[in-house]
Amino acid sequence: MRGMRLADARAQLPELLTEPHEPEEDMNSLLGLCRWMERYSPWVAPDAPDGILLDVTGVPHLFGGEQRMMAEIRARLAQYGFGVRIGQGATIGAAWALARYDAKDIESLPVEALRIDAAAAKTLRRLGLKTVGALLAIPRASLARRFRGESIGENVLLRLDEMTGARDEPLNPLNPPTSFMAHRALMEPVIHAEGLEIVLGGVVNLLCRDLERAGKGALRLILKLFRVDGSRANLPVGFSVPTHDPRHMLRVLKPKLESVDAGFGIDAMTLEARETAEALIQQHGFLEDDSTLALEQLNDRVLNRHEAQFLALEQVESHVPERAEAARPSLKRGPVKPARPPAAARPLLIFEAPEPAKVVAAVPDGPPMRLTWRRVTRRVVKAEGPERVAPEWWRLTAGERPRDYYVIEDEQGRRYWLYREGLYGEPGEEQPKWYVHGLSA
Amino acid sequence: MRREPAHHAARSGETCAAVTPFRPGERVAPLIAALRAHITRLEQGHARFEATRGKASPWVMGLPELDRHLPAQGLPRAGLHDVSPRAHGDQPAAMGFALALALRRLSDPQERRPLLWCRLSAHEREHGRLYGHGLERLGLSRQRFVTISLKRPASLLWTMEEALKSGAVAAVIGDADAAHADLTVTRRLSLAAREGKCAAILTLASAQPCATASHTRWTAAAVPSASPAYDAQGLGPPCWSIELTRARGGRPGAWILEWHHAQSRFSLVPGFSRRTLHPGTDQGGAEAALQGPALRAG
Repeated sequence: MRGMRLADARAQLPELLTEPHEPEEDMNSLLGLCRWMERYSPWVAPDAPDGILLDVTGVPHLFGGEQRMMAEIRARLAQYGFGVRIGQGATIGAAWALARYDAKDIESLPVEALRIDAAAAKTLRRLGLKTVGALLAIPRASLARRFRGESIGENVLLRLDEMTGARDEPLNPLNPPTSFMAHRALMEPVIHAEGLEIVLGGVVNLLCRDLERAGKGALRLILKLFRVDGSRANLPVGFSVPTHDPRHMLRVLKPKLESVDAGFGIDAMTLEARETAEALIQQHGFLEDDSTLALEQLNDRVLNRHEAQFLALEQVESHVPERAEAARPSLKRGPVKPARPPAAARPLLIFEAPEPAKVVAAVPDGPPMRLTWRRVTRRVVKAEGPERVAPEWWRLTAGERPRDYYVIEDEQGRRYWLYREGLYGEPGEEQPKWYVHGLSA
Repeated sequence: MRREPAHHAARSGETCAAVTPFRPGERVAPLIAALRAHITRLEQGHARFEATRGKASPWVMGLPELDRHLPAQGLPRAGLHDVSPRAHGDQPAAMGFALALALRRLSDPQERRPLLWCRLSAHEREHGRLYGHGLERLGLSRQRFVTISLKRPASLLWTMEEALKSGAVAAVIGDADAAHADLTVTRRLSLAAREGKCAAILTLASAQPCATASHTRWTAAAVPSASPAYDAQGLGPPCWSIELTRARGGRPGAWILEWHHAQSRFSLVPGFSRRTLHPGTDQGGAEAALQGPALRAG
């Protein structure tokens, strides 16, 4: 009985089992079930608190017809301990009602099946309108006059139209539908990695065939593994260039598959292309050839395994050394812009953050004679410089001061690239500071 | 089975004999002789092809004094080599020398693949990250350069191995700690290099006593450079003291080399080439360095 107190219920039935009401947990398990239902159709939406909506347009023949499909869903869910009622209809409203009320057609459905609230249903019943059929028989205009409610639950006409299909009701799927996907359901659950790899190979081939036909390549894929116990594992992978090469896809996906816990076995597998692009025949640069493709494919494998990617160091128009270069993903390299390389010496290695150093010079703004850096003092034998680098005035970075760069060589022949920040004798400025910015070979 | 139309085969004189149909009653001996000659020709051609393919031009240093010490007068083109700094502060010199080695490999006109340099992020913090303008100063075009930064040594070695196997790059240089480059790891890299016909160079963080499967092992240290004639204070081309500590099929040796980036070549520093160095300590490098300018002047 709804609304009964727990104490009253216990008094009537002492062996009553109770569970606290946890709406969040209920929703979570409903969402989990929705994800599991994606094995039947990609268009699945949860219908809180206790329903799941499934758009099966064009699907049932894959499972041997509507009756068989419903029987299979019922049997499978029963295995997991869910009692299930399935309704099927041409509209969401009709399916919703048929799943909850026993009726042969929508005319014989009770008015409560219209997804209206209890008060509205009660009013209708008091007026003698007990079935949907009775409502449909009444002219629309008089119904509209009577039930022009603000709340959607009360708006009988809207619900009626949604049930008959006079008004479209969109289904918001849990996952965005994908145009390219491949699915394989297995007769027996598979646990072993070898078996899974074989299934994966089949799915990949299916997807690649479709992609190739459409002239597309996948940029982002998601591999969904449906476990026997109703849970699902998702493996997302990405590609740096659109691909429909099954061998390459397999090489990227296989290492991911190894990391999956198969649980009690996997009985279905779906591979979806979440993002696709035109797979154009790429024109390579002058200095590139077939090895570029091998590099692209290698990059995908590194990216999906170690989350690092190949970078090219691109020249940027700036005379401030740390801004004169940018590391960009090597495969998204645009056309090469000719830029003037710096005239003065540049080091092989550069520090992300210049490291403070102590320097002794013969004259205040002369070349260094002694360098103390990382707690070791070096005597400077040779020095080249200074190279004055002024801050870029168009960048309004406060506190940037001009730098004088020197390349120095110590007694052992090791080369350092250092600079003095600031000028001597500038009024109101603090004393210049020295930094080591790079190391040369 | 699909049959080739006769006119296809008849187009080339070579294959003509092979498809001449045998008709009974005709004289067999000349036909068989012709076919035998044809097979011999094919076999000889294949042998010549195999011979030229197996013997690609070796990876030479361009200095007879140095190449004499290497197996087969040059380094194997597909193999693993490692470079260690003599002391911690010589790491940039070791990296510079590793790059120079790789550039000798890249200067082969038939080689169009790029160079991949795998860095460990810990090393980038310690010694700095690679700077493209500086790489250009050593003679490497940024068009032919790709780098990657990885957090764990295991990821780095995995990436190196995969890159070598794929054959997408001409050479791979990788940072490695001595602790991670053991015999098994280097053996794997060496095999991967052979598979992908790439050169692999490991730049080790310290001179390690541990055995590796490298073809050659080098130790590098910085040496004071010769100043240009017009500027006594100026810096000359980069100058390194190089020691070949181990060479499979070659002889160890020590040299002091200058690197000329414009021509991608080494040159011996006069006065040093025939001297015996006592490497292994910082002192050796410093001593040699102090005597350097005097010897050069004389």
